[in-house]
Amino acid sequence: MERDRLRRPREPARLRPARLRQPRPVGSEGGAVSAGHSPRTGAGRAPDVFERGGWVTMREYGDDEPVDFAIVGAGAGGATLACKLAEAGFSVVVLEAGPFWRPLEDFASDEEAQQQLYWLDERLSGGADALALGGNNSGWGVGGSTVHFSMISLRFRPDWFQSRSRLGYGVDWPITYEELAPYYDEAERALAVSGPVRYPWGPPRRRYPYREHEMNAAGLVLARGAENMGIPWASVPLATVSAPRGKSPPCVYRGFCNFGCATNAKQSALIVWIPRALAAGAEVRDLAMAGRIELGQDGRAQGIHYRRGDQWRFQRARNVVVSGYAIETPRLLLNSACNRFPHGLANGSGLVGTHLTTHAGPGMWARFDEEIRWYKGPPNMAVCEHWNYTDTGKDFHGGYAFMSQGPLPRAWAQLLVTEKNLWGAALRREMRDYNHMAGLVAVAETEPRACNRVELADVRDRHGLPVAHVTFAYSDNDRRMQDHARRFMGAMLEAAGGHDVWTSDDTSHILGTCRMGSDRATSVVNADGRSWDVPNLWICDGSLFPTAGGVNPSLTIQALACRMGARIRTLAARGEL
Amino acid sequence: MLAASVLSDSALEHYRADFENPGMFAPLASAAVLLACALRGTRSAAPYATACAVGTAGLGFHAYNVLRRPGGLSWANLFYAAPLGAPAALALAGVIGLAARPVAAGATTLAGLPSGRALCGLAAFGLAGTSAEAALLHFRGAFQHPAMWVPVSVPPVTALLLAGAALPHARGPRRLTNALLRACTWLGVLGMGFHARGIARQMGGWRNWSQNILAGPPLPAPPSFSALALAGRAALALRAAQEAA
Repeated sequence: MERDRLRRPREPARLRPARLRQPRPVGSEGGAVSAGHSPRTGAGRAPDVFERGGWVTMREYGDDEPVDFAIVGAGAGGATLACKLAEAGFSVVVLEAGPFWRPLEDFASDEEAQQQLYWLDERLSGGADALALGGNNSGWGVGGSTVHFSMISLRFRPDWFQSRSRLGYGVDWPITYEELAPYYDEAERALAVSGPVRYPWGPPRRRYPYREHEMNAAGLVLARGAENMGIPWASVPLATVSAPRGKSPPCVYRGFCNFGCATNAKQSALIVWIPRALAAGAEVRDLAMAGRIELGQDGRAQGIHYRRGDQWRFQRARNVVVSGYAIETPRLLLNSACNRFPHGLANGSGLVGTHLTTHAGPGMWARFDEEIRWYKGPPNMAVCEHWNYTDTGKDFHGGYAFMSQGPLPRAWAQLLVTEKNLWGAALRREMRDYNHMAGLVAVAETEPRACNRVELADVRDRHGLPVAHVTFAYSDNDRRMQDHARRFMGAMLEAAGGHDVWTSDDTSHILGTCRMGSDRATSVVNADGRSWDVPNLWICDGSLFPTAGGVNPSLTIQALACRMGARIRTLAARGEL
Repeated sequence: MLAASVLSDSALEHYRADFENPGMFAPLASAAVLLACALRGTRSAAPYATACAVGTAGLGFHAYNVLRRPGGLSWANLFYAAPLGAPAALALAGVIGLAARPVAAGATTLAGLPSGRALCGLAAFGLAGTSAEAALLHFRGAFQHPAMWVPVSVPPVTALLLAGAALPHARGPRRLTNALLRACTWLGVLGMGFHARGIARQMGGWRNWSQNILAGPPLPAPPSFSALALAGRAALALRAAQEAA
């Protein structure tokens, strides 16, 4: 039986009126779309993310002025593409549903206050293995999920791009690793990724721009376990700088990385791509919720209906890009159904919203006699990609990486409550071991299956838009992979000297739902992210992924966006836009 | 000067490590005694010999610290484990002190070599070693500022020329070597300025000095170049004087 339930935000609403310093309302748009926030961009300026109370000048466009590109979403995909397109000379407007954060003022070292960074609007989540939404898988605000991501910047294994032909599972991507490699380089340089001098897995590659960070004790647990088992390990390539870079000071290892980085060492889309995009002439409209894409008689998108400051408005555009991530992107397309596409815009294939994948995150935890103090530094500092690159000895298709962990006390307590069902004195007792704990959590690929999907529910949100209904269940292969990961990670923790090993369940990144492909019958967009059905409609985010791979997706999303920017430039030069 | 650099650097770094091992006080004490003796012109060899011993022992400890970590002799451990260059600098300061004693007493040879040439070689070795340490740490900093290339390019060339002056039959005026040594002397001062700027670029800058002096680029490191360059100039002058005689 389907376990449908209305998923309330993970945190009660009382947490929302955050300790934000309220800026004065901009222009006539003083009305708040969301309680506690009002627009910060407008009147020719946008917040300067590097200065307390600072501003940078911003170009603005009129609603009736058709811009070259209107982009929905300012996360890893949208912000990156906005930067690339603006720097290529296109006029760009970015519509972002959340606020424009000021890192130095809004990002507190407070686990509770920082819950505001998640997309906590109502969604329905169902299926045999209903996904926990919000939390660590959906960002809200300029910068999107990169504001609270763990900064893990790993490349896909080259074979995964042709996983069906080369490895016998999943589905082939329409591009090869070799085509994407220069854009991986570009994204790594843009993010000044701090990584090991030599990364032990994958093909030869350019050295990471910055050196690896000093490993914390939690990472050394993985390292010790891996060395005792004779398996390679590495420090995690992280998008947080290990030395000064421009206005970014180096990481201070305060450990609040899964929230907004108040140091600005984290190279999020908010501080990397957005300032570049603004400097190149892009406009960012914060607290602007896109509701529907308008399709013209000629079969081309005309622009976007969006709500800002309690007003519905319409931005004209020659091209529309949807970068809302794997739930909001299909939701917007489905909400934009019209006569020509009664089942959702650009949904001629019927695949919009289908083949949702996630990364399963089985965790293994152990107690150590020595103090670990795992809250120190970035939460994931050591990685083992052994089972991403080794195909022998597997009883499953696909791969998984796993990393050392560093949950903060509140997150740890939440895990103990939800996974070990501890409460009261038992919870207190277990929390006393906080500084002696270490753990490993996998990023495990799940299979793309049509039954795992995003649809529209009858429930409507505060904008009057139907909310997303997400259905998810693991396949047998997904379960075998997680069992394997548990066995292997447990053995590694014991090899490192841990005892009282126990396990937990979780999921993280959400991918797929508007997949790219080389055949219009089996995909939503082509290799350039361009809709097969609507020639001036593009998608640029994690929903493009035909398969999930066994690594965190943010670097690949940004590399794809860089590639799309270059491709659009080429197509424009040829008059093929 | 080298002793002062070692003293302040090891004081900072070992303070940072909370003097976890009582041995961590040894280089401080040794460098402090060395500094006092050098300033007073003490004749006794003991403090210098002690510095050599402490420096060598420190090198052993630091090497053990690097090798015992997971990854062994890896870049990460060379970056972040106990620095190999620091105890080597203390040993070098001791050797220079030991060498300076007979020279001050008027001896014309050191270890069988004319003292000028021997001291040129010693200073050249020191400069090259210090530059290697800077190269490692600036590589760790990803050479994120163009000035970070200076201490890994100018001192090695200077060291090479100075080493040339240590060879027998090396002739001719050493104007270029001298000019480069002068540049290296200033490098120490400029380097401190850049490192101070580096501290300002940390989160909180100089307002958070108590933390950033530990976390930022080390202020006491660059003056090592000045110390060794001055030793090199003195050695070169001695060599010239010996040749003229």
